[in-house]
Amino acid sequence: MTPRRAIWALVVGAVLAGAGLGAQDDRVAQLAREVAGKGWIVYAARGDNGTWDLFLMRPDGSERRNITNTPDFEEGGARFSPDGTQLLYRRFAKGTVISHDLWGFQGNLMIAGPDGANPVQIGGDREFPWASWSPDGKQIACLTQKGIQIVDLQTKTVVRELPRKGIYQQLFWSPDGQWFCGVANARIMWTVVRMNAQTGELNIVQEFQSCTPDWFPDSRHIIFPSRPAGQDGYGFTQLWMSGGDGQGARMIYGEDGYHIYGGALSPDGKYVLFTRCAKDGGGSEDSGAPICVMRMENAPAIAGASEALRKVHPDAKEAVTLQLVEGWEPCWTYAEIGVGK
Amino acid sequence: MKAVSTVLLLSLVWLGASCAKKTQPAAAVDPNVTTRGSIEVTARLEEIRGDLIDDPMYDYAHVMKYKVLQVHRGKVDKDVIYVGHYNPAEPRGSVADARVQEIGGNVKQFRVGDVHRMAMEVPIDDHYMGGVINKYFGEVNDPVYWAVWTDRAEK
Repeated sequence: MTPRRAIWALVVGAVLAGAGLGAQDDRVAQLAREVAGKGWIVYAARGDNGTWDLFLMRPDGSERRNITNTPDFEEGGARFSPDGTQLLYRRFAKGTVISHDLWGFQGNLMIAGPDGANPVQIGGDREFPWASWSPDGKQIACLTQKGIQIVDLQTKTVVRELPRKGIYQQLFWSPDGQWFCGVANARIMWTVVRMNAQTGELNIVQEFQSCTPDWFPDSRHIIFPSRPAGQDGYGFTQLWMSGGDGQGARMIYGEDGYHIYGGALSPDGKYVLFTRCAKDGGGSEDSGAPICVMRMENAPAIAGASEALRKVHPDAKEAVTLQLVEGWEPCWTYAEIGVGK
Repeated sequence: MKAVSTVLLLSLVWLGASCAKKTQPAAAVDPNVTTRGSIEVTARLEEIRGDLIDDPMYDYAHVMKYKVLQVHRGKVDKDVIYVGHYNPAEPRGSVADARVQEIGGNVKQFRVGDVHRMAMEVPIDDHYMGGVINKYFGEVNDPVYWAVWTDRAEK
């Protein structure tokens, strides 16, 4: 190639790359417009006071506001009740390092309004571990050493108990109340499992280096991060989904160089939230990681160069993601809460 | 006569030495291992299946196979038991952390053939919530013990 042709090729390449980026920017902007009015996201992030606080923002990142603003405490793990009228979270002593694996066992359970108003501490330190909402928001399911306990929130009494059958962290109750998902020692550790909430019958959803599961709104599918085998070295954690029966597992989003955690669906299941963190674990020990929004119809999607990942998933689409602020464990409601405050 | 006296003297010296030996205190046993947990055994580490993972990001217990040499406390039905050790790549003296606070011992490294005096509980699920590497899963149905305190012992 002559020098003149080489220069021309570089110019054309740069223009095409610019056009590609521009098109990508347009798609991201369109996504932002599409989700802007669709309710609220709650998440934990470092406040101006340096501690972990809870924040609300619109799904396009606008109207962000600190709803706890407690310089003497750390807060995280927030979950809207299914109807969006309550917020459940954990409050930790100031300076507590929030463990990405143990946070559900740490600190106090708190319940507040969806905008953080009127927070009430439920029980003492480390009580009601891994609390998650029942469909009607009147009960919580907790994961304890003794087993899975269903607690009536009004009386704070255990109304039902099931053996935990090897589940050891990250228990979540399905929106229809029929199932639990969690992380268990089944045939091997770090296995995502589903448990029948009535019978206690357990089935494997995804084995091997999978954790932090959560439910799709249909209660039939589960979203979870997974770090598959066969990657070079330590590998990277991708976001996956599967039927609750363990069938049809497939990647939602992956990006070599980043560990994807915090997977959660919009209430209609059309959009997915996640965090992308260069360090494994999701960033709760530090300052979280950028929260991202993607359309589920875009899945499976890959971002960045991700050469190795693209070889494994040659049919994956180019990811169109809206990257928001740094945070941890986001949760989405379509309820209109505290608008204009 | 001189020979008899010499024999008598030597006998007295031997007796004295023997008595002195008997009155020496036995090697002290760590009270942690004699009081913690509900079961206490001396056992030889027979097998470690799989590699001991040393990953500071994740905690786990690794199940190891032991031959029981002596039961000091509690009831152990079998000669061969399976014991879960928490984060076994760590020395026992520094292994306690936020997830598992009440464990320890003086074993620095797990090596097949070593003899350990252990305070234990059973089953592991009643005393530990976390990942378990159990390479005997599906092969052995015996309950897995949970190692509370693990000290070296004489072979």
